[in-house]
Amino acid sequence: MLRKCISAELIKLRHSRIWLILMSLPVISVLIGSANFYMNQDVLKKEWYSLWSQVALFYGEFFFPILIAICCAYMWRLEHLNKNWNIIMTAPISAIHIFLSKLIVVGVLLTFVQVFFCLLYLIGGKVIGLTSAIPKELPGWLLRGWIAAITISVLQLALSMRIRSFAVPIGISLCAVFIGLGMYVSNLGLFFPHSLMTIGMGVLSQEGLPSVESHILFIIMNLLYIVAISQGAIYLLKKSDVLD
Amino acid sequence: MKIISIELYKLRHKRITLMLILFLLVEIAWTFMATSKSISSNPENATWEMLIAIVASINGLFLPILTAICVSRICDMEHKGDTLKLLLSTSMKRGELYAAKYVSAAILMILVSILQIFSIMIFGIMNNFKESVPLFLFVRLLIGTTLTSLIVIAFQQWISMAVKNQAFSLCLGMIGGFIGMTADLFPAKVRSLFIWSYYTGLSPVTQSYANEKIQFIIRDVSSLIPAMAALIVVGICIYMVGSFQVSRQEI
Repeated sequence: MLRKCISAELIKLRHSRIWLILMSLPVISVLIGSANFYMNQDVLKKEWYSLWSQVALFYGEFFFPILIAICCAYMWRLEHLNKNWNIIMTAPISAIHIFLSKLIVVGVLLTFVQVFFCLLYLIGGKVIGLTSAIPKELPGWLLRGWIAAITISVLQLALSMRIRSFAVPIGISLCAVFIGLGMYVSNLGLFFPHSLMTIGMGVLSQEGLPSVESHILFIIMNLLYIVAISQGAIYLLKKSDVLD
Repeated sequence: MKIISIELYKLRHKRITLMLILFLLVEIAWTFMATSKSISSNPENATWEMLIAIVASINGLFLPILTAICVSRICDMEHKGDTLKLLLSTSMKRGELYAAKYVSAAILMILVSILQIFSIMIFGIMNNFKESVPLFLFVRLLIGTTLTSLIVIAFQQWISMAVKNQAFSLCLGMIGGFIGMTADLFPAKVRSLFIWSYYTGLSPVTQSYANEKIQFIIRDVSSLIPAMAALIVVGICIYMVGSFQVSRQEI
């Protein structure tokens, strides 16, 4: 049943041109970041690491969470239109499958975004003429960024499910970005989904997670958020009346 | 006037003002945190110029997205409720409806700018800034922010009305925020091409780095007038093209 739900979600995305939205942010991030790196090479001397600090800073810190919010709001948009809530809730599909299928599809889309961003980063570095080896931390930054992106997606899917407005969850995401940055600065980064992204992608400190224990703690915190928020959202989906 | 009041009446249960104020509070809190940190690291930084420069740069990130959200909510209710047909079957002209929505969004965003100015004035007074409140600088900040917001509203409204899928208009807001935040990194000629860069571009105070020290420089009014005039012309063009295109669109 889950597989059918996923294919239904994919059908809903057909002709939506959401790929345009998903591709726009990595392209702009890498273009601006690379141009800034190119013009300030006398100050930014750590080659690939400096380039990462330029392309990933605004991408990971501010705009990737907002892109996730747009993507998640879009996943529920159809349900909020034309009384589709009544149709979906009377169909013989469990609430778990409805929520999980959306989460899986968002996860796939975000994988595409991260891979595309990585490709552009590598192309940007090569075009600029960087000769040193590609950072060995790169797969870790991308993978941890993706895990944190899934955590944020769960939160945003839950918000967009409950809030009929398309724009309000995106506004909440913008506020959460600032709160997350504040939590990170206060060394409480592990306790807020948006600051997990900052830690995971190494956007402010490229040393990333120093030990195996901190990696485990990072994964546990993400899993905790994913499980807790999904459970809450699925419970609401089962128990509360549809939004009209 | 009546159409504008009807537009505002439609928003009465949408809690849009409350939403804008809450989002603004987060921005203000962030501004105050950044300012307090700057002052604690160097007490000489406790100046109105520094506060205005920080507000302008945070506006570059925050206001394009907030404007996109506000305009999207005002326009999306017609798409969602499929009410355009109903509205146009009355004697209402499309151009009037478009103008009423623009004015409603403008009123809300001007309200946001005014509230922001008052809050930073109060913050400065509470932190015992040495100089008296530079009212002229605040008026200039308000004019610059409002003017840029009005142009951004025109662009956002065009996209929100023309494209039913609000993901695109919000994506535009996100890209605008990105450009608004990073605008100071661009060369001046490139920067002037992007409407979102004018949140900092029309700010009365600019930052410059000299000898590894940050300096806040008050801009001359006359240096900003050509940019303002050009921005107004661009804004009028965007509004006219948007209104023309949306008015001729098949519903």
